[in-house]
Amino acid sequence: MWAQVDRILRQATSQTVDQIANFLPGVLVSLTLVLTTFVVAIFARVLVMRALRGLEVDRRAEQWGLAAAMAWPTPTSLSQTIARVVYWTILILGLLVSLTALNATIPSRLALSVFEYLPNLLAALMILFVGTIVARFLARSVLIGAVNMQIQSARLLSLAAKWLVQLVAVAMALDHLSIGRSILLLAFSILFGGIVLAAALAVGLGGREVVGRVLERQFRETPRGDDSVKHV
Amino acid sequence: MASIGSNSSVQEADVAASRADIVVGLVSYNDVGTIGAVARALRDGSTRYFPSSAVKFVLADAGSTDGTREAAREVVGPSALVEVKYESGPALGALAYHGYPARAEALRAILEAAQRLGAKACAVVDGGIQALGPQWIEQLVAPVLTDGIDYVSPYYLRPVNEGALTRSIVYPMFRALYGVRLRQPAASEFGCSGRLVTQYLAADFWDLEQVSVGIDLWLAVAAASGEFRICEAALGPRVAAARGTAADLGTTIAQVVGALFTDMEHRVDFWQRVRGSAAIPVFGTASPIVPDAPSMNTDALMESFALGYRELREIWTWVLPPRAIVELRKLTESGPDRFRFDDRLWASIVYDFALGYNLRVMPHDHLLRSLTPLYTGWLASFVLEMRGATLEQIEQRVEQVCRGFESEKRHLISGWRWPERLR
Repeated sequence: MWAQVDRILRQATSQTVDQIANFLPGVLVSLTLVLTTFVVAIFARVLVMRALRGLEVDRRAEQWGLAAAMAWPTPTSLSQTIARVVYWTILILGLLVSLTALNATIPSRLALSVFEYLPNLLAALMILFVGTIVARFLARSVLIGAVNMQIQSARLLSLAAKWLVQLVAVAMALDHLSIGRSILLLAFSILFGGIVLAAALAVGLGGREVVGRVLERQFRETPRGDDSVKHV
Repeated sequence: MASIGSNSSVQEADVAASRADIVVGLVSYNDVGTIGAVARALRDGSTRYFPSSAVKFVLADAGSTDGTREAAREVVGPSALVEVKYESGPALGALAYHGYPARAEALRAILEAAQRLGAKACAVVDGGIQALGPQWIEQLVAPVLTDGIDYVSPYYLRPVNEGALTRSIVYPMFRALYGVRLRQPAASEFGCSGRLVTQYLAADFWDLEQVSVGIDLWLAVAAASGEFRICEAALGPRVAAARGTAADLGTTIAQVVGALFTDMEHRVDFWQRVRGSAAIPVFGTASPIVPDAPSMNTDALMESFALGYRELREIWTWVLPPRAIVELRKLTESGPDRFRFDDRLWASIVYDFALGYNLRVMPHDHLLRSLTPLYTGWLASFVLEMRGATLEQIEQRVEQVCRGFESEKRHLISGWRWPERLR
């Protein structure tokens, strides 16, 4: 019996050692890949940064009004943002490739599915990016326009415009990623339907007079005072 | 930039058949109510003051449908009238503050006609003016023919409610930048010499995108920044008929101030070398009686400024330093008796907006429109200060504003040369 136990133990040990021996090169390759990716990512970041600075991308972006359209003032410039995106893209891709080197089924499948999903993810990110730019631009346009029209709730209108566009962008991005399509549609229908219904009820039934007074105050009771002025 | 080009075609037979010493350009658009009187006054004036000169009238009409052209023909007569056709294009985008579609193309067509006719002097008058006297033609043309002046700018008597944008930004900045005390540089009327006509037609601003709104100002700038002799002609009050729906204040500011800022970018080398300003001769004497100004609601103007401060302060911080924001906050807390916009603060604010425009810190339209509440604040302060003031007192006050712009010019030059210091 002891001999049998000894044989099984030896067999188990041998199998474990074999498996470890088979797995180790993969780990080694994986670690090497991670390290290499890290180094490549840093180099790429520095190279991209230098190239963009050489091309005076930040100055050109300012000239084209791109930097202004992108965001409110931020400490990071456009070239820094692009360099960061390049750095993290290389790093994430490297990590995924290193997972496949482990020769394990689940990490490999994960990596493959992520690669397959990547175009959708990039498209969704692009939608979010453009949506954010449009939302901020629109918010500022509405704010300035409303203030110049003497509308007291200018900030509220601006925020409403901003979040409306931002929400639509998020919904489109999620739809592109196939996340909760039916829930999203339902949520939007309920939300916008609810807003319209509430507004209709407020104006038509409950607060007709109140809304009338508010609108009157917004548009009539605050004349600019320059009606009789010829400005130029 | 969009090119508008030029597609003017003078009636060739008329041009070839005759030459003219003086060309009087009439710019019109659905002005049937006024064009007859304007043409008659100009015709009578040219007969009275220039009997020995050959005078041609050039009509640049933007496609009137109310019989404006027929009315002009009837008064001037076919032998003295040249009608120019030009590409007015579709009326897209925001309405121009002057209410005239394709004004630049109209002016270009008139100048081209003047050049072809070999005119020694050219005067341009808006067909929508009410109460124009025959002496206008003398005032606009005589300095060119007798005194060797190249550019005659009108000087209108304007009460406190007229020309506030000109008094607050356009004139002080024009004067500080180009060193010429031309009080109404964006006026629709002007007179010029044949030499200046040639210079105008060779200029590069005709193809710029904002030419239709900036042309009046740019013609004045071109004269002031070149080797030309300039003067003002005192024409009295200017009353013009409203032409369609007027552009709102934000649009007017965006167009007029935008045209000024755009021109600055094209003439950096010139205005950075200019120091101080010089007075120019004024021809003629207009009646010292200034029309009464209707009362203005200064409370509403101050409220507009306060609302702007509350909601747009965050946007203003993109171009204005913290010191200016603090000063503006103090102003919002002032009552009508103490509500006064400091001249140097106002000048530095306008200059900071010009720098922000040049640096493209945000879309140009946003930046310029966000200036509107600040302008209403300045206007409130000006009106409160000038209640019951005579024209002379108004002029003295504007002179102080101009000095503020001249003394702050070094701030503009330094910010323009070293923009990183502003950040």
